[in-house]
Amino acid sequence: MKALVIVGHGSHLNEDSSLPVYEHAQRIRGTGEFDEVVESFWKEEPSMRHVLDTVESEEIYVVPAFISEGYFTQQVIPRELGLEGPVTRRGSKTVRYAGPLGTFEGMPDVILERVGDLMRGRKTSGRTALVLLGHGTDLNKNSGGVIYMNARRIRERGIYDFVEVGFLDQEPEIGAVVEGVAAKNVILIPVFIAEGWHTRETIPEDLGLTGEVTLLGDKTIFYGAPVGTHPSMANLIAARARETAREEPVVRSAT
Amino acid sequence: MFEAPPEVSSLAAASREAFAAWVAASAEGRLFGQVLIRRCSSGYSLRHAEDAGESNLEAHEDPRSAREIAKLTERGEYRPLKSSPNLRRGWEIRVSDSVELAVAMNYLYPAGIVHWHLHRGGRLGITNFRENAARQSGIYKRVQRLSDRGVQDAARACCEDAVCLKKTLWDVDERTPLEMRRGDGEIPCPEPCSVFISFARRVRLFEREERDETGL
Repeated sequence: MKALVIVGHGSHLNEDSSLPVYEHAQRIRGTGEFDEVVESFWKEEPSMRHVLDTVESEEIYVVPAFISEGYFTQQVIPRELGLEGPVTRRGSKTVRYAGPLGTFEGMPDVILERVGDLMRGRKTSGRTALVLLGHGTDLNKNSGGVIYMNARRIRERGIYDFVEVGFLDQEPEIGAVVEGVAAKNVILIPVFIAEGWHTRETIPEDLGLTGEVTLLGDKTIFYGAPVGTHPSMANLIAARARETAREEPVVRSAT
Repeated sequence: MFEAPPEVSSLAAASREAFAAWVAASAEGRLFGQVLIRRCSSGYSLRHAEDAGESNLEAHEDPRSAREIAKLTERGEYRPLKSSPNLRRGWEIRVSDSVELAVAMNYLYPAGIVHWHLHRGGRLGITNFRENAARQSGIYKRVQRLSDRGVQDAARACCEDAVCLKKTLWDVDERTPLEMRRGDGEIPCPEPCSVFISFARRVRLFEREERDETGL
């Protein structure tokens, strides 16, 4: 039997954080690819400390619902799940640990699907910029790096006049990026896992956005929902798990 | 009549079969947290214990509907701690077998039945506060400096039945038992949870403030 465990951050304060994990889990259950699909969280139950005990399958795929490689994917999740690397043997169970979602090659497609949803039925004229908005932090360069990586991959496809990157907690600051880009239409997509305080409040407030479409000076800003809540993220999670099946278990000598 | 449990290969499967057998062995049903589970002709019936005699309940057949039921209180407040004594009333979930029963129970009380099963067999591993704190990092690392008194106060505030219906089995450390009413419920708590650690961090901040003010 095969199990998929999706690990999210979760929240003690609201349901927004864990909702996409539950929704993607349900979509993946519908495909029948895994015998079990189980949710687990850092700040909600079941905790990572105990979730593996609730799984019946011997072949377990753990996919972190996080955008970038960093503190959670490298320290917290392996520690709490008791993982030793990409493949961990635990009794009769084999646990395969996948990388975060943002670095996966399928991520640009999900971002573009999110753009497609936002722009459906909307006509634009003049130059168009796609701006990817990341949280970013000066504490870990991977957090911003993954946003640049996706921007580069989308830029290579030559769809938009510009593909830019802006952040909340590191340079370049998103407000300045939106203001400075030489395009009439700015499509702004938050590369976040879930809706929350930032996507609903701080970002619209800081940028003066009033909804999906805001006229701001001579620019029209199209503001999309976070990439992580897009239904196609479910396919990305399943593909991330599938990819880890190629990793061979580490053979340990008997002790 | 008991059916022989199917051959089980995993702890999770053994737990669900043991739980289903425990429920089936009681004519009046079993209480787990605030949920009453009864064997019925079509499988198992789950409802809020206070709705034991109610007949006009919102009916569910999908065991995963337990997630929505467990999410918000009667007044619509979010429930991050599923073992809080504020599960909403007015619903019944009917499931057909022990697998579906385990799915529903794991949304109502995540990992509850596996801990229950291990505890009954004397095999539940306990992680005391100090051991849990030692592996914390980032903003939670500071809980390592929480005093024994602080742990005791936090546990009394966070873990007694008025706040959480689990039976607290962990201690401050091996030599320092918690001085609290640990609870009489069926769901064991083998380790401080994330809600407790967040609270412990707050208590540690108060301790620091107090120390800074008194100069001690």
